[in-house]
Amino acid sequence: MRVRTEGKLAGRPVLWLALVWLSAGLAAWAQPAPGTQKGSGTLGLRAGERLSPARIQEVYRKILADWSAGDTERAPDELIELESAVVSDADAGTRKVLLKAEQAVIHQVGAADLEVLVPIAVLHHEAYRRLLKRGFHGHALAMIHTRTMTRDLAILYHDQSGSEGASLVSSRLLTSLGGLLQQSAQQLPAAEMFQQAFTLDAKNAAALLGLAAIYEKNTQTESAVKLLRHVLEIEPGNAEAHLRLALNLRRQDHHDEAAKLLQELTASTDPSWVTPLAFQELARLDSDEGKTADAEKVLRQALRRYPNDLRLHVQLAAVLDRRGAPGEATALVEKALTLPAGEEAAARFLYNTVRPDAFAAARAFLDENSRSRLPVLAQALGAPPAPAGTGVGR
Amino acid sequence: MRRKQFLPALAAGLLLAAAARGQVAVRILSPEPGQPVFGATDVRVGVQAGPAIDRVEIYVNGELAGTARTPPYHVQIDVGEDNIQREFRAVAYTPTGATGSDSVVTQPVMINDEMNLRLRALFVSVTRNGQRALDLGREDFQVLDNGAPQEIVTFGRDELPLTAVLLLDTSESMQGKRQEAVRRGAKAFLDGMKPSDEAMLALFSDRLLRFTPFTSQKSTLESAIAGTQAAGGTAVNDFLYMSLKLLDARQGQRVVVLFSDGSDVHSVLPASDVLWKSRAGQALIYWIQLGGKHESFTSSWRDFKANDQEYRELEQAVRESGGRILTIERLEDLEGAFRNVLKDLREQYAVGYYPNNAKGDGKWHKLDVRVKGGARARTREGYADY
Repeated sequence: MRVRTEGKLAGRPVLWLALVWLSAGLAAWAQPAPGTQKGSGTLGLRAGERLSPARIQEVYRKILADWSAGDTERAPDELIELESAVVSDADAGTRKVLLKAEQAVIHQVGAADLEVLVPIAVLHHEAYRRLLKRGFHGHALAMIHTRTMTRDLAILYHDQSGSEGASLVSSRLLTSLGGLLQQSAQQLPAAEMFQQAFTLDAKNAAALLGLAAIYEKNTQTESAVKLLRHVLEIEPGNAEAHLRLALNLRRQDHHDEAAKLLQELTASTDPSWVTPLAFQELARLDSDEGKTADAEKVLRQALRRYPNDLRLHVQLAAVLDRRGAPGEATALVEKALTLPAGEEAAARFLYNTVRPDAFAAARAFLDENSRSRLPVLAQALGAPPAPAGTGVGR
Repeated sequence: MRRKQFLPALAAGLLLAAAARGQVAVRILSPEPGQPVFGATDVRVGVQAGPAIDRVEIYVNGELAGTARTPPYHVQIDVGEDNIQREFRAVAYTPTGATGSDSVVTQPVMINDEMNLRLRALFVSVTRNGQRALDLGREDFQVLDNGAPQEIVTFGRDELPLTAVLLLDTSESMQGKRQEAVRRGAKAFLDGMKPSDEAMLALFSDRLLRFTPFTSQKSTLESAIAGTQAAGGTAVNDFLYMSLKLLDARQGQRVVVLFSDGSDVHSVLPASDVLWKSRAGQALIYWIQLGGKHESFTSSWRDFKANDQEYRELEQAVRESGGRILTIERLEDLEGAFRNVLKDLREQYAVGYYPNNAKGDGKWHKLDVRVKGGARARTREGYADY
């Protein structure tokens, strides 16, 4: 889905000037990140280099031009290089210098067309994603800067446009950002992103699900249940929401409803990682209630469907051990050792962290909306437009 | 005998009466309720129906095990050798889809006599004035099983072959120097093994990243440690249960040497399953921890309190098994910790007895080993009588 709004960046109070996140103790991370050693990037900038505001603006414009020309591999790396060179963890003032310079450029190009904010925000988002992936030692403040830029540009775009389409784009930017934060175990800022995303779009199920997962992990099961019921009102077929609702209900001792939800999931044909987990948890519920015969039945059914799932083998072995069948239990454990290493065993890890597909839709939506606006950005910069079919390429 | 003759006659009468009413009447004639069954088992089903019968399906514990299509309805099923309760269920179908069914539950054999023949081997560490006492004889020991004195029938020290599972946490937090230290620690353990000893190496996170079979070949074991990339979360319970289960089938002195912080986030099994398994088996568990102090945490699966409980149960499993928790503060001490585990095992006395009070009822038997001359003995705290 592609959305478009009309408008220009007017002289309203710029919200993001006020939004600066500074963390204490940043100087402790003083090692340069891989690929950001001085002079090693394509721009040839050195870490800690004192660039004049005019030079920063010049380089930032070049990066935006590369991005608008469809150079989606190089532009985010150049942005990382610029921001890491200018911003020093030891001096919070350096971030202000960078912020002002980038603001000035954004004001210039935004005055032509408000829509340029979308590809610029997506560029910062992509830079942040790459920084997270590479590790952020020595560049904590630069990382916070690019993350904050993404968030503030999203909110600015929404506030300045006021259209429903802008709400959708901004909401998904914040959702994707929240997903990245959640993935790097930054629960509180992730929760704030999801909350803001939900405020902008009340039907954003991915943001609600992300927020519910954070509540769940922090033992706030009542809040999680409330959000998950809301997700299922928006997307009745959301298997992950079903599973999380069932497990949160179980933690609240609502075993009957939990069992009913889990039985529905095990009866479904959903091909995702959710279904084997539903089998495991249904059997766990039965075992906890002393219904080991039922647990055995569930697990045998599960193994017919997932014959290579190591955890199901181990779980059935433990049930059979308790039911007085140690021989078959041993055979199952021995068989488990011969199973091919697969992704099934990682499902419990995914449940406790971030699911691989959780934010894919939001990112695809952003990519499409950024791509469609690259010509507008190129025009505003006076640069050649991107060739057709250019995308972020994740 | 009178009861056995009476039952089939009664069943036949009931079947005829049901058929007369136009229903599908089904009775399992064999096996009989309560009868123990093993291996190849004949299942015979009587069916009376107004309409013709299309087929009779036989289920064992909910699994379809066979189908008979013509009378007399008889299927031979291999039910396996496990001594367990089984439910047999017969379902008869007519061509129009009408059904009738019957079920019978068979029972396991009570094998109290056999239980008396199961040798229990205790591995006992003895200290006197803070030093290991290594000069004791059989006559110096007294074993009390639930308070009842036992006759010691086997006795020795450092004679039984050792079978070990080295269960090493290789989750993401173990990358780099930690993993290298673990590799050196495990190697120190393997270097101390005798030719008759065997070990299995299992590197785990939330997945089983690498493992070897039980082997005496140190080169096989050492090469498995090298080159494994630390990744993922931690699932101690699942892989500790698996290790204990694999040791069930081994002989001699059996031990799991676990290296992990014990903060289990991703197991499907609760620690209570590990505790149960430890109580029912004979293996010792040694747990080497880095850093020592357990820190509470929450996860998507459990809250602080439940995770603390899990940790305590894991500690309990180690303690009750007769093993130890070794806490080290520095990575450099890891090699020494692995060596100490092996030394501890070598210095244990192996004391065997046939429990004179075994019933096979799954109840807890408290153990007490006393040594003459004021020495202190440490061994497993007890066992579940299965």
